[in-house]
Amino acid sequence: MKNKVLMGLAAIAMVAVLSSCGKKPQAEIDATNAAIAAAQAAEANVYVPAEFTALQDSMNAINAAVTAQESKLFKKFGPIKEQLAKTLTLANTTATNAAAKKEEVKKDAETLLNDIKAVIEENGKLITKAPRGKEGAAVIEQIKADMATVTTAVADAQASFDKGTYMDADTKIKAAKAKADGINAELKEAIAKVKGRR
Amino acid sequence: MSLIWKRILIVAAGALFVFLVFFFLIRFTPNPPVDEMAYARKALSKAATNKADTYSKKLYKEARGYYESAMTTWKIENERFLYFRDYSKVVKLAMQAARTANNAADSSALSSTSLKTTLSRKISGLNEVSDNLDKWFTAYPLSTETRNRIAKGKMLLEEAKIIYRNGKYIDADKKLTESEYLLSTSYEKASESLKSYFRSYPEWRRWAEKTITNSRDSGSYSIIVDKFSRKLFVYLNGSKKAEYSAELGRNWVGDKIHRGDKATPEGMYRITKKFDSRDTKYYKALLLDYPNDEDTAKFRAAIAKGILPRSAKIGGMIEIHGNGGKGVDWTEGCIALTDQEMDLLFRIARVGTPVTIVGSLQDLQHVMKR
Repeated sequence: MKNKVLMGLAAIAMVAVLSSCGKKPQAEIDATNAAIAAAQAAEANVYVPAEFTALQDSMNAINAAVTAQESKLFKKFGPIKEQLAKTLTLANTTATNAAAKKEEVKKDAETLLNDIKAVIEENGKLITKAPRGKEGAAVIEQIKADMATVTTAVADAQASFDKGTYMDADTKIKAAKAKADGINAELKEAIAKVKGRR
Repeated sequence: MSLIWKRILIVAAGALFVFLVFFFLIRFTPNPPVDEMAYARKALSKAATNKADTYSKKLYKEARGYYESAMTTWKIENERFLYFRDYSKVVKLAMQAARTANNAADSSALSSTSLKTTLSRKISGLNEVSDNLDKWFTAYPLSTETRNRIAKGKMLLEEAKIIYRNGKYIDADKKLTESEYLLSTSYEKASESLKSYFRSYPEWRRWAEKTITNSRDSGSYSIIVDKFSRKLFVYLNGSKKAEYSAELGRNWVGDKIHRGDKATPEGMYRITKKFDSRDTKYYKALLLDYPNDEDTAKFRAAIAKGILPRSAKIGGMIEIHGNGGKGVDWTEGCIALTDQEMDLLFRIARVGTPVTIVGSLQDLQHVMKR
């Protein structure tokens, strides 16, 4: 009788040991989620959206794999831990890449802002030389209106830049730069024509 | 049976029991819906790649909702004892998530492609409007407000093009809508002003024909100024003999009404006096008989209707003079030629030579085609 009881206990203990040999890697999951949150805070969804989507896909797959293991009698979290380690690295890389891209866009916007300020200044000087274009005062009026719009766009872009929304600033400044360069070319051409006539 | 055999039998029975327990546990445990969930995830990922969160928001949100519900249900089922778990609801939700995500992906692809095509057309159309504004109205006196609207509209168009190239079609569409509003309304306003100006075309045509006929009948010189093309034509015996570039008053569109409006008058005039370089600061000048009776009548009517204040003056001293060639409409209402061309005109012009000033010698259709 004593032996039977011992046997039963051994079987139960065996089942208990086998069914709980894998423990959910909660610490690793938390660390990876924190790294993903950090990537999002670094605006990875804005500056490296494809990488960020891949990162989210990877984490979704891990969550599903964890739940799948929890459905099993014999849990095995080893491969998930490996996946978590990879995803953690990916999250860190994504955050780094986002920061790098953000810095790149920031520098680009900064350069363009400086460039355009120089072009605006030059345009201001060119317009006073009154080449005025073949078609007359109305052309000057339109150029002045264009110049005012460029100045407003630059102010908007600067505000976006100061707010840290560099992508938005970059787009605005690129459009303004194209316009300012166009005005510059138009004025220079008109001045050259007038000089040629003299 | 000896004791040892009894023990062996008990151990074997125990082992068999344990084996059977494990066998049943494994054999009859329901399978977790791993494949279905993976399929749903794949569909969601495809939808995300197709930017369904932007172009098919509702479906994508729905699909995500199904997926989240599937995950939650799966976790709840995992809490139950092994044998009592039922994943059929999870499977159903996962499949719903996959179907909806696939629909979102397709719909998004279709929407973004269709939006891309629409935007491409919209950009072409607005480029055309912008080009037409440049072509027809750059030299046309428009209000500062209209000029600013055109400038703003063009800037937004430029921004929209950059955003479009970056593949952000919804954002590009917003910019284009703003740009379209500004450019189209400005274009319509400017066109309306131009059309309204050209309503006087039949009268201009009549004046010009009369001037040419007079030149033919009298065998003398006549001058016609076409304001729109900024040309001064010299006729002799009804035939065009010379053509010079002219510069006008800054607000050259429309007839001159009062002093200081910087408009060049329209009408049939004659030269009343010739000034050589000693008598004018504009190299040489031919004074016209502005205002004539018609101009005076128009001015008085404007005062009577309250269009002009009682203190307004009709103006005068409208001349054809030198110092031109600036490439700009700069006069107070006179017609300026280069000094060389003024010399030529001064030689042939006499007191009494007719000078007809018209808005245009060509109708609006021809002007627009030019």
